[in-house]
Amino acid sequence: MLNFRLTGRGLWIAFLIIPPLAVMVTFVAYPIVSALAYAFYDWNGLQRGEFVWFENFRIVLFQEPFAEWTRRAFMHNVIVFFSLMVVQNGFGFILAYALWREPFGAAFHRVAVFLPVVLSTVIIGFLWKLFFHPIFGVVNQSLRAVGLDDLAQPWLGQSETALGALIFVNAWAWVGFPTLVFLAGLQRIPPELLDAARMETDNEWILIRKIVWPLIAPSATIVFILLFIGSFNWFELPYIMVGLDGSPFGSTDVLGLYFYRTAFGNQSAGVQDFGQGSALAVLIFAFIAVVAAFWTVRLRRREIQI
Amino acid sequence: MTTAPTMAAPMAERGLVGTLGRAGLVQILLIANTFLMLFPVVIMVFSGFKSNVEIFQQPFAIPDFTNLENFVRIATETTFPRYMFNSIFVTGTSIGLILMLGTMAAYAIGRYEFFGASFLLLFFIAGLTLPLKLAIIPLFILFRDMGILNTHLSLIAVYVAMGLPSTVFIMTGFLRSLPRELEDAARMDGASEARIMFKIMLPLCKPALIISAIHNLVPIWNDFFFPLVFIQQDSLKTLPQGLTTFIGEYNTDWGVMFAGLTLAALPITVLYIILSRQFINGMTSGALK
Amino acid sequence: MQRKLILSALAAAVAAPAVIAATAPTFAQEISFWSWRQEDREQYEEIIARFEAQNPGVEVAFEAFEASQYATILSTALAADNAPDSMMVRAYGAFEAVANGGYLMPLDEDKVPALADFPQSAVDAVTLRSDGVTYAVPFASQTMLVMYNKAIFDDLGIDEPQTWDDLIAAAETITEAGMFAFANGTATAWQNETLTFSLGASTMGQDFIADMRAGEADFTDERFIEALEKVNEIKPYLPDGYQGLDYPSAQQLFVSGLAAMFAGGSFEIANFRSQNPDLEIGLFAAPGADEGDTPLVATFFDGGYAGSATTEHEEAVLKWLNFLATQEFGQMFANSLGNITPIPGVTFEDPLLQEVADLNANSIPYVMLTDFRYQEPSGSVLIQSEVQKMMAGEATPEEVGQAVTEGIATYHEPFQD
Repeated sequence: MLNFRLTGRGLWIAFLIIPPLAVMVTFVAYPIVSALAYAFYDWNGLQRGEFVWFENFRIVLFQEPFAEWTRRAFMHNVIVFFSLMVVQNGFGFILAYALWREPFGAAFHRVAVFLPVVLSTVIIGFLWKLFFHPIFGVVNQSLRAVGLDDLAQPWLGQSETALGALIFVNAWAWVGFPTLVFLAGLQRIPPELLDAARMETDNEWILIRKIVWPLIAPSATIVFILLFIGSFNWFELPYIMVGLDGSPFGSTDVLGLYFYRTAFGNQSAGVQDFGQGSALAVLIFAFIAVVAAFWTVRLRRREIQI
Repeated sequence: MTTAPTMAAPMAERGLVGTLGRAGLVQILLIANTFLMLFPVVIMVFSGFKSNVEIFQQPFAIPDFTNLENFVRIATETTFPRYMFNSIFVTGTSIGLILMLGTMAAYAIGRYEFFGASFLLLFFIAGLTLPLKLAIIPLFILFRDMGILNTHLSLIAVYVAMGLPSTVFIMTGFLRSLPRELEDAARMDGASEARIMFKIMLPLCKPALIISAIHNLVPIWNDFFFPLVFIQQDSLKTLPQGLTTFIGEYNTDWGVMFAGLTLAALPITVLYIILSRQFINGMTSGALK
Repeated sequence: MQRKLILSALAAAVAAPAVIAATAPTFAQEISFWSWRQEDREQYEEIIARFEAQNPGVEVAFEAFEASQYATILSTALAADNAPDSMMVRAYGAFEAVANGGYLMPLDEDKVPALADFPQSAVDAVTLRSDGVTYAVPFASQTMLVMYNKAIFDDLGIDEPQTWDDLIAAAETITEAGMFAFANGTATAWQNETLTFSLGASTMGQDFIADMRAGEADFTDERFIEALEKVNEIKPYLPDGYQGLDYPSAQQLFVSGLAAMFAGGSFEIANFRSQNPDLEIGLFAAPGADEGDTPLVATFFDGGYAGSATTEHEEAVLKWLNFLATQEFGQMFANSLGNITPIPGVTFEDPLLQEVADLNANSIPYVMLTDFRYQEPSGSVLIQSEVQKMMAGEATPEEVGQAVTEGIATYHEPFQD
């Protein structure tokens, strides 16, 4: 009787766990492992050729001009990450701090700041591409309207401003996310703790550094890591706004665009290479995984120490 | 709220805070930010009611809202309604499957003790931070071999795989927090495991299911990358991908482009405004633990 | 009752395809035909109707896909043994990517005799360099030239320029009149390649191309650098903020009459006309420095019609491909699709098309596509980003030539020293 009952329950658990597990194995684990394997083969279009060891890695990392393209794209991802860290997360924290004491209209402001987060990147990208149009765009029209004609410029067409414009749009679209995560963190701080701290010091800055920040650190860790992963996967926004080539002359090229171009080709290249594409994917993946893991451990440890 | 400028604060800040009060500063900041957030969206909607000439010459003017020409053109000339239907179908099916499979896994892991349960949980959660985009080449080849490239099945398969980790994570946490007593009492009465799950436990899970659904709704509804690679046939495209085709066709007609962007943004925006609390909770839920 | 109705409706729906299949004549061979020209469906249906009338027993099913994704769609289908019986393939490097897999039916002059009369450059565009076998019937050439708004030229009393200085003077006049001389922008990468060759072909000259192909010159050659300098000279005559102006915006400036000239491909003509039927378009080849020299355009072939190596209806496919090489088809193609066909003996009803065909008599190849789009980094990718840089004032013509040559030299031996 007992035995039957156990097998019955075992079967029941198996029935519950096997279908979702099968989905994960087929569509996540297997593809990721295959990506690694594919990177070691020579590819002729969609046909797998011979095993070439590290040749594809050598080409994307050490053979010019591919190596330079890889480095350039990587550096742009680094810039994107650090800029967003400051602009998006920094401003997000300030906004969260402002919303924290429930000032007049807080509910409305909260809904407004989060609105772009629910919109598709495709909508946001096209919208801002039209806004940045050098002649008819709202950005330059606004500048001219207030007499700042000299500042009107082809934002997306200049190597000095294009990446900055993309970063701005990304921050505009996503600032609501860190804002509301931080806000939720702030709202969990017990009021007694703050009152007690206010007895000690009047300095808001010290209060933030010593009391508030350590208490919201767990949510900050996750926001930072999500931003890190997102920055090194950046694809949709530049694809829509500046195209697959990272125009102008590669000044907005990032790893996501470079990977896609290599794997699926573009019309001007006429060649698609799954081998080098897979090598790039494996490198990006390994970089993200190692940094994210290391960072999580370090930040978590610091949280505990504090 | 009293303002208490401090000794240590720099002079400038103290001056500003002194004049406006801290609450005043906070209001200015919030209003300025909200303006910056909403202004582009308002311009988008306004421009949808304008002609090219009006957009170029008076970009900020309030339009004649009875001029629906651009919207009529979209409704009659384009396959926009088709894209919308495809998005609803793909998103709906994916979320249904995610909730079903996610709950099954979470229930097994969260409510039973068996060998390997914690390993399984780890396996699912590892998927949380994996950028599946980078596995696009093997997925492409896998789907080709399965013969489901250029079908909605390919999208649904990827979306379910993308959505399972967070759902298992959220649901397991929730199911573990439910008291054992309910279950044990039912078991004493001789209820089967399936009956306990469906009649007793699942009805309690509704809030967590809603969180999981919304957590997945936005990324799936908005996804552009996977259809870009998997779907070529126009009649199968989802909204974001269809939007790129549409913009490509009307790229000189700004009024129609803005109207198209407005229409594309409409469903999710309306839903968000109605359910803003649930949206915010759902979307930030992965980051709050 | 209702349930019965639903059931019978379901049964009918399930049975319908079976009924159709059963009534189809078994002797007709249906062959599929894939294309990236969605916008040409109607015209192709007419062409197919003509073919089917002449070849009873063969039916062609036209299927079109989005141009930008066609390469992926086709290579996926071919690799998955889902090949269409016949298909359009792009020329040059993209052609080789398909042909190298052994997916295409080899065509020789026994199978398609008309190929013998095609111009060599057209046949070369769809011939595999490694085995010298032709795999397609080439179908259209495109020409890089300058299109202009006749009304604006007439109003300002400008004639078609005979020398480069004339062109600059004309641009100056237009700018002074408060219009943009050229509609072109440089934000869309590939527009920089079309700009370079539509304006610079005459200055490069046919000798440069011959020397370069013979391995005696590379892109640091002074003739090529001079052409880049000419392209660089038109910067003041481009629209405000041209660096941020993308391809559709440039088209829009020309079509709306805000700009007088558009340096680009002849494939623009049909599009310009459909967007503004009142626009009167004129054409010329951008001249070189000297009046005596014949101005040159740059040309390339779009692609060809190919058959699948694994088709079960080889005979029907060959009938179809042979039809696509006839003068009769060429004439229909020119008249209804407004394209220049390489099929000999075709006359062009449209005077503008005839003018393009006449200009083609003095041309250079659109060389980054015809010669250097077989390997990475392709000549096109290099010239696009380098000229974009030059037009932004961040590179000199010499630096452009140097960078392009170095990039190509990584796989092209004649450039390696």
